[in-house]
Amino acid sequence: MKILIIEDEIELAKDIMNYLSSEQYLCEWVTNYNNAIEKIFTHEYDCILLDLMLPGGNGISILETLKQQRKQEGVIIISAKNSLEDKIKGLKLGADDYLAKPFHQAELAARIESLIRRKQFDSNNIITQKELSIDIHSKTVTVNNQLVNLTKKEFDLLLFFIGNKNKVLSKSTLAEHLSGDFADMFDNHDFVYAHVKNLKRKLKESNCNDYLKTIYGTGYKWEQ
Amino acid sequence: MTKLLNRPLKAFTIYSLIILIISIPVYVLVVDRIWVEELDENNWLTLEHTKKRLKAKAFTRKDIEKINQIWGELQPGVSIIKSNDKEKFKDSVYEVIRPNSYDLDDGEDRFRGLKSYLNINGEPYEITIETNVEEADQTLIAIALVTLCFFLLLIIGFILLNRKIAINSWKPFYKTLQSLKLFDITKDTSIKLVKTDIQEFQELNYSLEKLVKNNSNAYQQQKLFIENASHELQTPIALLKSKLDLLIQEKEVTPKIAEIINNIEIPLSRLSRINKNLLILAKVENRQYNELESLHVDHFINTSFLLLSDYINSKNITVTQNIKNTIEVQANYFLLETLINNLLSNAIRHTLVDGEIKIKLENNTLFISNSGKTALHKEQLFERFSSLSQEKSSSGLGLAIIKEIVNKYKWSINYHYQNGFHTFYIQF
Repeated sequence: MKILIIEDEIELAKDIMNYLSSEQYLCEWVTNYNNAIEKIFTHEYDCILLDLMLPGGNGISILETLKQQRKQEGVIIISAKNSLEDKIKGLKLGADDYLAKPFHQAELAARIESLIRRKQFDSNNIITQKELSIDIHSKTVTVNNQLVNLTKKEFDLLLFFIGNKNKVLSKSTLAEHLSGDFADMFDNHDFVYAHVKNLKRKLKESNCNDYLKTIYGTGYKWEQ
Repeated sequence: MTKLLNRPLKAFTIYSLIILIISIPVYVLVVDRIWVEELDENNWLTLEHTKKRLKAKAFTRKDIEKINQIWGELQPGVSIIKSNDKEKFKDSVYEVIRPNSYDLDDGEDRFRGLKSYLNINGEPYEITIETNVEEADQTLIAIALVTLCFFLLLIIGFILLNRKIAINSWKPFYKTLQSLKLFDITKDTSIKLVKTDIQEFQELNYSLEKLVKNNSNAYQQQKLFIENASHELQTPIALLKSKLDLLIQEKEVTPKIAEIINNIEIPLSRLSRINKNLLILAKVENRQYNELESLHVDHFINTSFLLLSDYINSKNITVTQNIKNTIEVQANYFLLETLINNLLSNAIRHTLVDGEIKIKLENNTLFISNSGKTALHKEQLFERFSSLSQEKSSSGLGLAIIKEIVNKYKWSINYHYQNGFHTFYIQF
């Protein structure tokens, strides 16, 4: 799957490419407005990561161009401008998601995964991994066709893990995913343990393989 | 405190009183002196005239005795008597106070006399002429009364003039004062002062306008600076965060390194929060977030409550909600969300394990209370970075943002401590 990163901050773009590269993604990267427009006209992408403040032009006008060209690419805005106006404007102009800087790479990866899945399988939206099957649409999880009863947060966590396969996710990353902007208001993220522990227990009770590994002192990892 | 205009009035009054009081004895002395001189002159003229006539007529001793008798009856105090002394004396002037036989109600009167000597038929005679003079104390009373009348007239005049001057000349000054009182650097960028034809006030207005303009510019620049600075900080913070995300993926990460990474993430999160909050604060101050919507406060409480439930549960906090009615406000979605979230997370953070939080919505007021041991200092509560707790994850801006949002919509926020509960209440 092809991803275009439009980001003038070289280091950040490299980090994103680094994080995503081990997945099934092929990343391309441009740093300014003109190159971005050129790429959009000549190539097809599954997902575009768009920074709004670019040398040579505004990211918003790239969105407008995409709309005029009737391009079907999914767009995630990644911006330091965490203003609501930009968010609304971006989403109105056809962006699919908005992620304010600074963000965790895991959060971005999960959003990309979810976006591509939405774009590709509109009707039949099911993720499977051997005995495990997740229906995004009805928010249900089955192991060997047996329903696993998960809470909303456990389901969210499961999807987040699936979106970051084979990556180590720290407790604070998970906390931020679960409670958004709130997480960094608190020192204590111990509730993450409780949710992960419950998720692990429920999967194990349904005879699911132990894909979710605890990395001692670091966090968790979903192995495939 | 006295009004500026009353100060000279007081001074003028006291000054004129002093001058008038001093003037009374001076007037009395002057009048008395004029009196006396005039009478002395009159006495002298009468004497000279009488002497001339007496000499010319060559009266006999008997005649003169008769004259003295008649004269003395007609005009008491006037006499011509034979002098025993043969020597010729000089004229002498005297003053005497004795009862006046004609003026019975007045008691004693003052008289001015002139005594002289002359020879008639070779014999010395002593001749005396007296005239009634007004007493000095009566003059004093009369002058004092007149002076008092004039003093009262002066005071009435001063007051009336002062009022007239105040109304006309000081009007621009009071207008300027009023404009200054209404000026708010957080809201107004310039001040418009009414033009005046009084030079000092025009200069004052000009200087004030200039001062306000300069200060306002500095204030605007400072606000913009904060906004720009926090924007600029976003990128390095984002980079740090993404580098840590990559670092943790490395195979060689030992638990020890993982702990260090974790210990970097905590202050980084705090840095990120402070920066985000500074940006929000700057943006609210710079009057962004201007779109208004009709919003229900209780809806935000519920959403915020759900989002924070993990933190509430992990501290084993008991929450009681008492929502009696819904409040609908015209506000910006993001700001109302921030306001409620900040209030609630503030309460959670400052509640000890097994504590209690009470949320009450009644009429147009939202009460958020949490159990706590000691009351907080009201004065510093809403100041930036006036962190009153030892809480490490606090950005020190939460309450400042709350205050700013409340100010923006002209709501009010207050704090009180009662029965072991901190309560913040907002009146919408």
